[in-house]
Amino acid sequence: MQVKQTTLAEAASLVSDGDLVALQSMATQAAPMAMVRELIRQRRRDLGLVCLVGGIAVDWLAAAGCIDRFIGNAVSMEQFGLAQRYRRAVEDGRIRMEELSETALLARLGAGARNLPFLVTRGMIGTDLIAVNENLTMIEDPFGGPPVVACRALVPDVALIHCHRADRCGNVQYEPTARWPDVAIMPKAARRVIVTTEQIVESDVLRTDPERTVLPGFVVDAVVEVPWGAHPTSFNPRYGYDGALHSAWVAAARSEEGAAQFLERYVHGPADHESYLAAVGGESRLAALTRWEAE
Amino acid sequence: MPQGARPDSPPAQDWTPDELMIAVLAGCFADGDQACNGMASFLPVAAFQLAKLTHAPDLVWLAGAVGLEPRPGPIPASTLEAPLWRDALMYVEQFGDFWTLALNGRWLQKFCVGAAQLDRFGNANNSVIGDYHKPKVRLPGTAGLGDMGSIGKQLYFWNPNHSPRSLVAEVDFVSCAGYLGGGDERERLGLTGGPELVVTNLCVLDFEPQSKHMRLRSVHPGVTVEQVLAATGFEPLLPAGEVAVTPVPTAEQVRLIREVIDPHGMRRREFRRR
Repeated sequence: MQVKQTTLAEAASLVSDGDLVALQSMATQAAPMAMVRELIRQRRRDLGLVCLVGGIAVDWLAAAGCIDRFIGNAVSMEQFGLAQRYRRAVEDGRIRMEELSETALLARLGAGARNLPFLVTRGMIGTDLIAVNENLTMIEDPFGGPPVVACRALVPDVALIHCHRADRCGNVQYEPTARWPDVAIMPKAARRVIVTTEQIVESDVLRTDPERTVLPGFVVDAVVEVPWGAHPTSFNPRYGYDGALHSAWVAAARSEEGAAQFLERYVHGPADHESYLAAVGGESRLAALTRWEAE
Repeated sequence: MPQGARPDSPPAQDWTPDELMIAVLAGCFADGDQACNGMASFLPVAAFQLAKLTHAPDLVWLAGAVGLEPRPGPIPASTLEAPLWRDALMYVEQFGDFWTLALNGRWLQKFCVGAAQLDRFGNANNSVIGDYHKPKVRLPGTAGLGDMGSIGKQLYFWNPNHSPRSLVAEVDFVSCAGYLGGGDERERLGLTGGPELVVTNLCVLDFEPQSKHMRLRSVHPGVTVEQVLAATGFEPLLPAGEVAVTPVPTAEQVRLIREVIDPHGMRRREFRRR
């Protein structure tokens, strides 16, 4: 198989200004944050995002002025509250949000992945979500049942995924933990796929647990080894979310200036990923996160 | 009976509104039901655990909609992070499994809904205040609620901050379908299920079967009907005769909540500081 290992900076060149980027993410979980920081450092513009639940990654990208649209289920940092910079940008009209129910987003991505014009759902019937969205429409059941909602195929330009381990060819393994639908569907719907991984291993290591392989290397365009690559989101079972850094962001993000200073200190300032890890507290802090000590 | 739970426990002398709300929600779930929770859902999670420790030991809990029957332990700071589903029997893969099980119609028939706005016909809004395209306030988004309202589920709403802003005559945007315009509008769209109960820090409300308009069922001890009306953005229907008083939790329920289920008091994070 073809070798696809590269660096964060090189992988980021697969993302162009204006691209629609499918980003793995739950409220405080499993986002490819090192890749997100690289896109902010490289000052990408006019990106669109596709997420299940966007968290701190979406708020950072909004604060940095990298995104102008969002397609997904929700944006929230759960106990850390609403993503304030994102929310303001939507309220000011700088970011357009296409809000979808979970089955609708999975139907749009599923149709994209399977090369279908649309897939249907029974979700959202009766809500206002359908009328405001040109990518959703009610259709008759050709077999005589009640109407359903057609969800237009969604094909992102690029998908960003983080995983526990991968080989140099981009075969991706997930350790036993909850798996959200984004890992399963986004890489198959998107035109290009960038994987960051906690660890690059020999292919023979993957052969010991093939049931853990969740993505074949032939769909992957670039794979980058980035230990702690999901920080400050959690990456179970390896580490918990960094509650202290989330809280610091929430405090800073009350103002545009505060947010800019925070991004300067933690995103633009550190020369590379190692420097970032030092800036957020280094080894002792990271060791605490492996014990799920959030504060 | 499960571990340490005593039947016939007397009413608690000392209880708080969060504990009463948990006891009321727990009463909505029975043996044979499957329950799941989403983000920031401390009261539902506590209610599922309480039901399992008392009247419904065979209630099945799908923690965070991913972890089947985790080992019980103190509720952690997040209801959508791995500590909630420690030692689960199964990770229910969301794409292939969870939505298939939820959409099928045989399982997961009850769902607890928390929303920024809820209206007199049980429609919920977690999307926007103001216009959808130019919102005054952009709320987090509908996520699974946009599905749960339309796929035949019985909906149980919880609202720890009963106010005219959260209980409104008409939601700004329907992001979870309730009884829509009331009457048989929901049925006419082919939708089954729908809102069952609303549990707030002041009272319990249900929906009048014909009009589907929200109706006051009981006020919590110490709360007057006038207080409820003043805190509600519309006039709920009143039952014929005297308004009932919500039964207080039992001493045993309160003990289980405080000592076993939620010793760190996560449930109180949902209540706005007064």
